[in-house]
Amino acid sequence: MKLSSIINKDCSKAAVLFNSKKRILEYISELAHEQLPNLNQHDILSALMAREKLGSTGIGKGIALPHGRIIGLEVVTALLLVNQQGVEFDAIDNRPVDIFLALIVPDGDNEQHLKTLSSIAQQLNNKEFCKQLRNASNDEELYAIIASAD
Amino acid sequence: MRCEDTFLIQNKCGLHARAASVLAQLAIKFDAQITLYQDDKSADGNSVLALLLLESSQGKEVKVVCDGPDAKGALHAIGELIAQKFYEQE
Repeated sequence: MKLSSIINKDCSKAAVLFNSKKRILEYISELAHEQLPNLNQHDILSALMAREKLGSTGIGKGIALPHGRIIGLEVVTALLLVNQQGVEFDAIDNRPVDIFLALIVPDGDNEQHLKTLSSIAQQLNNKEFCKQLRNASNDEELYAIIASAD
Repeated sequence: MRCEDTFLIQNKCGLHARAASVLAQLAIKFDAQITLYQDDKSADGNSVLALLLLESSQGKEVKVVCDGPDAKGALHAIGELIAQKFYEQE
């Protein structure tokens, strides 16, 4: 699966500046609501927050995968945000996070969810790719990097 | 010391982000090098991204290889975590 099949141009935000986990999650829920107008923004935020309560989605190396499962949703929507500075996110390596790949996913389809995670992991496991994401100075540049990924 | 065993992924969600994070946090506590194998893929137990690449769903078998001074304890701990379905409520 190509990243560009789940992340569109409006969901790629370079060089944003937020200073807390809460604000980042709020912004993600705002953007996700714009993509999924049938969903209530508050419900999206609640799903993201509920997942963080189970354990931080900060998976190390400055990367987090905030996600929320929504009942009744049919397709995966992903958003990629790069913050100008690392934010405390209770990550497993205690490092601040600046790359946020957020997912709003249908509830229940576990096999498909694992496939999506694997496709994302394949790209984010590439140091050079992460470096390019961090260096993107605007949204167009960020999306071009996402679109060029295999 | 090197030891290995094969475990069945039993939890409904498989080795998804949370399960992979819990496993990596456990693996980090040991000095032993911990590697997971599934089919032709392998992953460093310390790396969530590498673990996600395994795409281990419910019903898959993963081989866990531990190599180092505390390999036996590491293998036992990882095996127990998988057997206990990563302590997830289903």
